[in-house]
Amino acid sequence: MRVIGMIAGGLLNVGLVLLVAPFAQGVLRKITARIQSRQGPPLLQPYFDLLKLLGKEDIESGEVPGMQRFAAYLSLATVLTVACLVPMGFSAPMNGAGDVILLIYLLTFCGICTLLAGLAAGSTYSLVGISREMMSMIALEPLFAIALVVGAVHTGSFRLNTVLQGSVYSAGSFPWSGLIMLVVMLLSFQAFVQRVPFDISEAETELMEGPLMEYSGPKLALFKYAQMAKLIVYSALFVTLFVPWGAGLAFPAGWLLFWLKLSGLVLLVTVVAATHARYRIDQALRFFAGLLGVALVALVLASYGH
Amino acid sequence: MIAREMFEKFKQKFGPLILRADLPSDSRLFVFIDPSSVKYVCQHIFRELDARYVASIGADDRPFSGKFLVAHNFAFDRDHLLCSVLTPLPAENPRIDSISDVVPAASWAEREMRDLVGIEPVGHRYLKRLVLPDGWPEGNHPLRKDVPWNSVPSEFDPEREFKFDDPPEGCTVVPFGPFHPTLDEPAHFRLYVEGEMVRGCEYRGFMVHRGIEKLAESVMNYNDIPMLAERICGICGCVHNVAYVQSVEEAAALQPPPRAEYMRTIMLELERLHSHLLWVGLACHIVGFDTLFMQSFRIREPIMWMAEKISGNRKTYALCVIGGVRWNITSEIKVELRQVLDKLESEWRAVVAAVSHDKNIQKRTRDVGVAGKGLVKSAGLLGPVARAAGVDIDCRRDHPYAAYGRLDFDVITDEGGDVWARLMVRMKEVFESIKIIRQCLEKMEDGPLQLEIKDELPVGRTGLSSVEAPRGESHHFVITGENNRPRRWRVRAPTYQNLQGVPAMIKDQQIADMTISLGSIDPCFSCTDRLETIDLRSGAVKVWSQEELLKLTREKKA
Repeated sequence: MRVIGMIAGGLLNVGLVLLVAPFAQGVLRKITARIQSRQGPPLLQPYFDLLKLLGKEDIESGEVPGMQRFAAYLSLATVLTVACLVPMGFSAPMNGAGDVILLIYLLTFCGICTLLAGLAAGSTYSLVGISREMMSMIALEPLFAIALVVGAVHTGSFRLNTVLQGSVYSAGSFPWSGLIMLVVMLLSFQAFVQRVPFDISEAETELMEGPLMEYSGPKLALFKYAQMAKLIVYSALFVTLFVPWGAGLAFPAGWLLFWLKLSGLVLLVTVVAATHARYRIDQALRFFAGLLGVALVALVLASYGH
Repeated sequence: MIAREMFEKFKQKFGPLILRADLPSDSRLFVFIDPSSVKYVCQHIFRELDARYVASIGADDRPFSGKFLVAHNFAFDRDHLLCSVLTPLPAENPRIDSISDVVPAASWAEREMRDLVGIEPVGHRYLKRLVLPDGWPEGNHPLRKDVPWNSVPSEFDPEREFKFDDPPEGCTVVPFGPFHPTLDEPAHFRLYVEGEMVRGCEYRGFMVHRGIEKLAESVMNYNDIPMLAERICGICGCVHNVAYVQSVEEAAALQPPPRAEYMRTIMLELERLHSHLLWVGLACHIVGFDTLFMQSFRIREPIMWMAEKISGNRKTYALCVIGGVRWNITSEIKVELRQVLDKLESEWRAVVAAVSHDKNIQKRTRDVGVAGKGLVKSAGLLGPVARAAGVDIDCRRDHPYAAYGRLDFDVITDEGGDVWARLMVRMKEVFESIKIIRQCLEKMEDGPLQLEIKDELPVGRTGLSSVEAPRGESHHFVITGENNRPRRWRVRAPTYQNLQGVPAMIKDQQIADMTISLGSIDPCFSCTDRLETIDLRSGAVKVWSQEELLKLTREKKA
């Protein structure tokens, strides 16, 4: 019975993410258009875009077509697996199937898919793209890991449901470490979801989409889908970890509140993306390194119970 | 007076080296000198007298004087003087001392002269082909008068590949173009990259030459050519249109009526407005700031509508004929144009206020693509690139044409020399253009739009015209000829000079800065690529049929 519940819950989460992600993208595009004094595409356009791409001819290209295909599958699969581990308005369905460490691994995996994609394409532009992706991964991934570990330190548990409940604030005294991590994550959130000003590894006007340049048709659709889903999954993670208030409410209220908070975050991402220019990789790395330093301070504070 | 004073200076210095001289007006000086002394004379003019290098022209004058002609044009901007140093060369085996080691900016012009007219610049250090495709046979020079305008030599081999130089040791090659999202025109940069740093580059352009000059010299007539000239460029077409007409008018000593001059000024400034707004948008797009890209295109649109109201076209105004213009501004359009300018001014003020305090854009543009005064002088950089480096040049003030001499405006300069400074210069120039158009609307009086020309234009006269395009000085050189068409017409667009400064500007910078550095000169490749006799792609690109390409992409490997 418990296993069936887990599977059903997991499927529910996956379905939700797949259903909502293109819509969120549509909202994002519409709002961007409004900021830019444009009409913008209809809200449902991303669904049609994906359907169109999925219906196109599946062309093999790049240096290693097999790996290219694998990278596209893996990318979406990883994001959807993460979706099973994240609470989406109710407790994480696969709660018992893994802990926070697994989550950290899986998040890193998303970046690795981009690396594989770039390697498979084998062009100079995609190689420059993955070298940028790699550099930002090294600087970025520890940030989320530290945030999760801070929560784990406070609660004394690596269990998903325990950590992903605003645990960063559950210090014995005033939650300095949690608040610091909140600021750090807010500042780096654009990079996690690969939006301007940190869409450096794809940088259309410099690298012509970098690692994705050889993708087309259904494989491109999978990658695009994965990117859209990533926005939802990361936002859900952020909300459960840092904005837990009201999660305990009864079913419809708590659930609705969760999605409301998530929409707020997506809106923030959109506005920041529409009002910034892209950073250069060295500027971005300096910025991430600064954040990493602050995050380490938070970790030390957390271990002393603050 | 100025031309005469300068000529006296030349006479004292060069004495017997001067064969003859021509001083058609106070602001023009044509000096014919002995071929052996060309390097010495040019060095003196460029270094000691501190003139600005403008252009070099090679011409086949054999049917008329039995000789080849080479002209090196210089500008004395503070003295409002354009000076042309002409050298006759023998009909057999024409050779001339290269001036490119004393005037580096002349490098391309000399290579072009060698390709197209077959005049050998002796002592030039890098004599690789510039203009002609690599499959073009040696010894066939399309701009010579004995080569028909529509001939393709039978030995021409379109399959021949372009030979690139070897990259320096330790560098990988990143190809940039011919098609790249930020480079919407065909030009190829081979970047030598070490990690993320650009260490050097090789440029191969001239892929879409249209043989415009040859066509004009062989089959068109004086009043056809303005329509052709403006098709040199899709953005600053009116500049070429006006510059050509002015150079012919100067050669034939014609003075267009005042209202025509005001009309030309207004259309040129409208063109500058839309070009600068377009550039600011594109620059923002390049650094990933699409919101401002969209906003500046929105603000720009009413200017296009005004241009359409006046000329019937958003672009390509077909404005000039020899001795006048074809369009008029009615009193209704005047009212509407004033309203458009008022709206533009207030909206642009908001944009400038937003951008000039934006730390984010500054981060991407400050100390990027730097071109200092030294590079401006040696590579002959022009327009906003020069002004952003603190070099105070602007043809509208220095070599006044059309109605500019009767108007009051400022020349915007900056000291930074980087992309940010160029951005600031262009943004502020928008306000000056608005000011200029307003004054024109105020001052222009009713009157005829065209001169009545009854006689044929005189033959064998030389005319120069420099027009300040949005990107810098566009220079046209005309020798009038028989059959109602010029013997020689040479166009030097600003990008021709500015591109030569790009390798120095992107050296030791990150790849990420390459696009904005290149973008910051507002490159216009179609202006630069204007001189080919056939419309085949250069040897660098094999000409694939669509079927072949499709097959190739599906088979993975060629």
